[in-house]
Amino acid sequence: MTPAAVNAAYAVVALPLAGFVANLVLGRRLGEPKAGWVGTLAATGAFAAALVAWVGALGQPSASRSFDLKVFTWFPVAGLHVNVGLLVDPLSLTMALFVTGVSAAIHLYSIGYMHRDPGFDRFFVYLNLFLFSMAVLVMADNFLFSFLGWEGVGFCSYGLIGFWFQREVAAVAAKKAFVTNRAGDMGFLLAMFLLFAHFGSLNYSAVLGGLVGGHPTGLLAGAPGAVPGTTATAITLLLFLGAVGKSAQLPLYMWLPDAMEGPTPISALIHAATMVTAGVYLMARVAPLLHYAHATAWVVACVGVSTAFLAATIACAQDDIKKALAYSTISQLGYMFLAVGVGDYTDGVFHMLTHAFFKALLFLGAGAVIHALADRQDMKQMGGLARYLPVTAVTFGAAWLAISGIPPFAGFWSKDAILASAWEMNKVLWAIGALTAALTAYYMSRQFALVFTGRARWAEARPTPGGALAGAGAAFAEGEAGAGHAASGPGLPPPPHLEARPRDPSWVMAAPLVVLAIASVLGGGINFPAWHLDFLSRFLHPLFPATGAVASTATKWALSVVTTILSLGGLAFGLATWRTAEHPVLEPSFLRRAWYIDDTVSAAVSGPVQALADGLAYVMDRRLVDGFVNGVAGLLATSGRALRRVQNGYVRSYAFGLSVGVIALLAYVAFRVGS
Amino acid sequence: MDQYLPLLLIFALGLVFAVGSFAASRMLGPRPRLNPAKLGPFESGIAPRREPPARFPVRFYLVAMIFIIFDIEIVFLYPLAVMFNQLGLFGLVEMASFALVVFVAFAYLVSEGALDWGPGKRAGSRSGAPVTRSVSATVRRVSRPGAPTPQASPWAARGGEAAAAAGGPAASPASAAPKARVVG
Amino acid sequence: MTIFAGTAGPGCTISNLVTSEAKVSGLCTAKGSLSIPVEYRSIAPVLILGVAALVLLVLSATLPKRRYPGLWAGLTALAGIATTVDGIVQWANLDNPANTALTVGGQVLYDHFSAFFAILFGCATTLGAAISDSYLSREALDGPEPYVLMLACSAGAVLMAEAAGLITLFLGLEVLSISLYTMTAYHRRRAASGEAGLKYFILGSFSSAVFIYGAALVYGATGSTQYFEIFQFLTGTVVVHDGVLLAGMALLVAGLGFKVAAVPFHFWAPDVYQGAPTPFVGYMAAVAKAAGFAGLLRALMLALPTQVSSWRPAIWVLAVASVLVGSVMALVQADLKRLLAYSSISQAGYVLIGLQAGTQAGWSAASFYLFTYLFMVVGTFAVVGLTQGRGEVRNDLGSIRGLGQRNPWLAGGMLVLLLAQAGVPLTSGFLGKWLVISAVIGKGQYELALIGMVGAAIAAFAYLRVALLMYVPAAPTPARPGQPRGEGGGEPAVAPTGPGAPSGLAEVAGDLEALATAGLGATATAVALRAPSTARLRVPRATAAAIAVCVAFTVFAGVSTPVLSLAHSIGLTWSL
Repeated sequence: MTPAAVNAAYAVVALPLAGFVANLVLGRRLGEPKAGWVGTLAATGAFAAALVAWVGALGQPSASRSFDLKVFTWFPVAGLHVNVGLLVDPLSLTMALFVTGVSAAIHLYSIGYMHRDPGFDRFFVYLNLFLFSMAVLVMADNFLFSFLGWEGVGFCSYGLIGFWFQREVAAVAAKKAFVTNRAGDMGFLLAMFLLFAHFGSLNYSAVLGGLVGGHPTGLLAGAPGAVPGTTATAITLLLFLGAVGKSAQLPLYMWLPDAMEGPTPISALIHAATMVTAGVYLMARVAPLLHYAHATAWVVACVGVSTAFLAATIACAQDDIKKALAYSTISQLGYMFLAVGVGDYTDGVFHMLTHAFFKALLFLGAGAVIHALADRQDMKQMGGLARYLPVTAVTFGAAWLAISGIPPFAGFWSKDAILASAWEMNKVLWAIGALTAALTAYYMSRQFALVFTGRARWAEARPTPGGALAGAGAAFAEGEAGAGHAASGPGLPPPPHLEARPRDPSWVMAAPLVVLAIASVLGGGINFPAWHLDFLSRFLHPLFPATGAVASTATKWALSVVTTILSLGGLAFGLATWRTAEHPVLEPSFLRRAWYIDDTVSAAVSGPVQALADGLAYVMDRRLVDGFVNGVAGLLATSGRALRRVQNGYVRSYAFGLSVGVIALLAYVAFRVGS
Repeated sequence: MDQYLPLLLIFALGLVFAVGSFAASRMLGPRPRLNPAKLGPFESGIAPRREPPARFPVRFYLVAMIFIIFDIEIVFLYPLAVMFNQLGLFGLVEMASFALVVFVAFAYLVSEGALDWGPGKRAGSRSGAPVTRSVSATVRRVSRPGAPTPQASPWAARGGEAAAAAGGPAASPASAAPKARVVG
Repeated sequence: MTIFAGTAGPGCTISNLVTSEAKVSGLCTAKGSLSIPVEYRSIAPVLILGVAALVLLVLSATLPKRRYPGLWAGLTALAGIATTVDGIVQWANLDNPANTALTVGGQVLYDHFSAFFAILFGCATTLGAAISDSYLSREALDGPEPYVLMLACSAGAVLMAEAAGLITLFLGLEVLSISLYTMTAYHRRRAASGEAGLKYFILGSFSSAVFIYGAALVYGATGSTQYFEIFQFLTGTVVVHDGVLLAGMALLVAGLGFKVAAVPFHFWAPDVYQGAPTPFVGYMAAVAKAAGFAGLLRALMLALPTQVSSWRPAIWVLAVASVLVGSVMALVQADLKRLLAYSSISQAGYVLIGLQAGTQAGWSAASFYLFTYLFMVVGTFAVVGLTQGRGEVRNDLGSIRGLGQRNPWLAGGMLVLLLAQAGVPLTSGFLGKWLVISAVIGKGQYELALIGMVGAAIAAFAYLRVALLMYVPAAPTPARPGQPRGEGGGEPAVAPTGPGAPSGLAEVAGDLEALATAGLGATATAVALRAPSTARLRVPRATAAAIAVCVAFTVFAGVSTPVLSLAHSIGLTWSL
């Protein structure tokens, strides 16, 4: 029996769709800012609906909180029953809640951020379409429908990275993201074929089992032999390939830093908080299957932890404020995969949540900074902004402490739990993870220090032919800082690259910052590991197969202390060092160039591979394919023109043709007579 | 197969007769020496530039339709009269509804002016098209100087493939002229 | 409500006919009176449409002679809606198998198939009326007559689908055909229209003769024209000399093949489609095809299922020829209406593919195909009717060029309809093709499935050509210097690649042009690229609604199952 409130889940999907349609149809007419408000309203409504559905589900016993809301059946033909339906269970509810919640905040923020952009309405069309696709992805009740959402978010990501498609970099980055994701999608597709071949269905409940009448069934019940280990491994590995592409893990991570060419709210929503976590969601969704695929679990854990470490090192040497955050996102996603790999799905989801809060906040804060500095993104050109952007600085600071894993901020709890589980699985995994935690604290402190503390480097104009301007700019900055320098006259112009002094954004942009900051500070509370406050664990518990050994409380404490000390160390070092901007020793070029991976790949592709491809393209394309296609097309056109002669417009010819047809039929019949 | 033999024979006979007639007229008939003058109408004079118009007032057709209406009604009334007792009420009702249908057609015809023979009473067409356009435009188009002369075949497709490729409404008047001949 | 005049003891249902005296064929005698049991609900669609036609005639005779904008179309649409609703009601009623019956003197079959096609023709009438109204007033042709013809035509079509014997089928066929001949020739001031009507009439009469000859031969071979009696005769008797029967069958196939425009009986279609008033073409393409196929399905599946091994190869050839010839010829057309005519020929080929499977999957696929094709083709021709301009001055491919700018909504709708006809997933067209092909795969005919897919691939290019052309910018024609363009709203005339146009956009437009005209001859390319007016295209309200319904249905039926399940529950066998 489905409680009435759960039906609100329909609205979670329907409202963004309605917002999308409304903006598509009326967006141009509504214009700014109404189009944005329509989009925000849709997102907020979806969030409210998710809340209602969640409350409805909470009313049920914990093991019965799984509802399949069927919308309709598409293709009830020949064995393949593809439903269009929603699966409402703790996992999808959790995902829906945070996706719609963060979305609503970012929609609001975008109204301010996209102010006066010529593509304002287009932006919200994409944004609502994205939210719809994401809702479909997390709430679908079968793999194929999820895949539809999966492709939908991919498309929106493509469209939004290239939102300013007039900039060639943006267009190229969009293409890169699209192509990389295709590689992953192939894995997803193949996995679906395998699933259908083995289970004869693509429904989550049919494949993975579910909660029926309060009891787990199928794979979820741990029915051994339900699926051979090799099949499970193959399926999960292929799905993981899809996840790697979508969630930017090794080796398919290169697109994400480039994706920062998109508008900052997009980086926050799609490329930090929601879409990129879709891979983690997918792996958590197939947890019952992953349970039987130990090899895959190992691969997931190893890929996760190595991505986390590698991306963290790269993040230490980035100058672009958004690029640094992008590498940080990749690194944090690595943590989530580590959690999934070691079988600690709950904490993987937990970290996904907290990460969504603080990373979205970091991006939005970065956006506010970029906005304030008239689209400047180089951190080395910032500094001292805390005085000018107090709200931004405080909220950014909260996120900084959260991601650095400083108790009691949200990030600490989730990261700590993951590391504790990793310890139980393998000490090396833990060691790398802990080291990464220290690195994280370091590079985030570096970022905070570079942006908000130290000298106001942004006011020192770049080397210009007339040196006078530079001095004037500096004087202006000092004057505005109110440091008591009487030299600053009231008539001095602002520095050449800024129209006005940087200031905090308007309330539409500030409100989401504050909300997300509160979430980043208190987010740990949703899964507090003591006093029976681990709400999330208990909520998700029935959905995930029991993991192996659980670390003892004493071990946990010990590990917590160690990681906290490491994080604090990184934090202190970062803050202390980066009061000034020049420390080349700490930014070796191999880190600045991201371990040369992108360069190597480019070189490999542009070198021999390109040559090979060119050669093949010439032989295959020009000679074979083109020749074939042109030949066929020519043949068709020629035969069409020849046949046209018959169609000469004379009734007598037509009647003759008819008669020939009749006679041919009769002749055929004559052959069959008596047979 | 035997049962079809007579049928086949009839076919064969028909074929022989048809072929024979053509062959006979070829062989027996006089073979005139054909030249353009010989082929022209009246074998002399100025060749007509277009088909002579053979136009009937449309009212003749309307009268013919009225005739058909009553004709058909009567045709069906006879069997009813013969079978009246057996068919009973059902037959009567059926016949009445049939008569009603036919009467509607009659009423429509009358309203369209089938029985109005006075000149120019109903000059205005209900369709709203101006008179000049619906009547005189057709005439003028057919006889417009410089219009392409009618082709050998009355309904040669000017709309055929080649013409369509050449495109445009330019060729449209061509086939309007021979229409009268075909209908008549 | 079962009406039997007289107390007909055992109802003349199909199951009873097997045991009781079948030869009476429904003429039940009681109390010495000869009365025919009539189940009026079985002929309700025909009655609704016929009475509506009469009402229109009476109104036109009695109302003062002036224009009544929208009245005639509205009444026709109302009758169409009533037919549709009636069809749905009958469908629900027929869910009880006991209600299936052979009535009206054994001449009418009352079953799911009839109800399905009643719904189809009801929808066709409604949409046809909706898209004709604005066209007729634009061409100054409006009046009740075309709508009367349309209603009569629909009534004939319903009768063809309901017919339980060749005579009734012929009756329906003639009512349908004569109405269509007149509708084709209805554009008085357009010579092409009259020419098309005449061609259609002559060739149609020819094919009717062929059909009736076939019926006569079948009668000669089996002693009846009633499907059930033919079926009974053929199952009970081993026909040794089946020459007459097979010849009759071949002629029936030829006669109905003409109506559905199957190759090689298709020659009339391009000329007629090109000449007939555009909205009527949409209506005709949907209704004549559906009715012809309904008759063909009935005759082959109900009367001649025993001869299936004889007619399947014949239909196979017709299907393959239709798919290939239609697709290939569509590629080289420079006239939009001719292109769509060939497209409809190739679509008929797909229905034939479903028909020749001769299975439940086959005929339900064919029915589904016909139903969904109705919406695609009516919508498509509605759009063509709008772009061609007053007097149908431009029907060539170029007339649709730049539609994306002139009216993006219309272009979007047209795009959906074109993609559906090309068989792109998530549209009903895809589902239809897929069902048809899976039906023949179910029979193990992979070669036919392959041909079907190849044909779809070829035809897709023709549709994409149109779709591309819609988005080639309607470049303003290079006007003579100093002369402002007529309809362009007085903006200065610039050459397509003039200094005003960004070079990148011009390049893209050039690529599109090249792509859109690939494979056309030189003259045809020139025609296709002749830019139309760039003025915004206004869509009359009724037409817009009809197109919207068509597009919505095309998407709806492509992603959901109601229509599919309707088609799946159609039965075409005798329930003995």
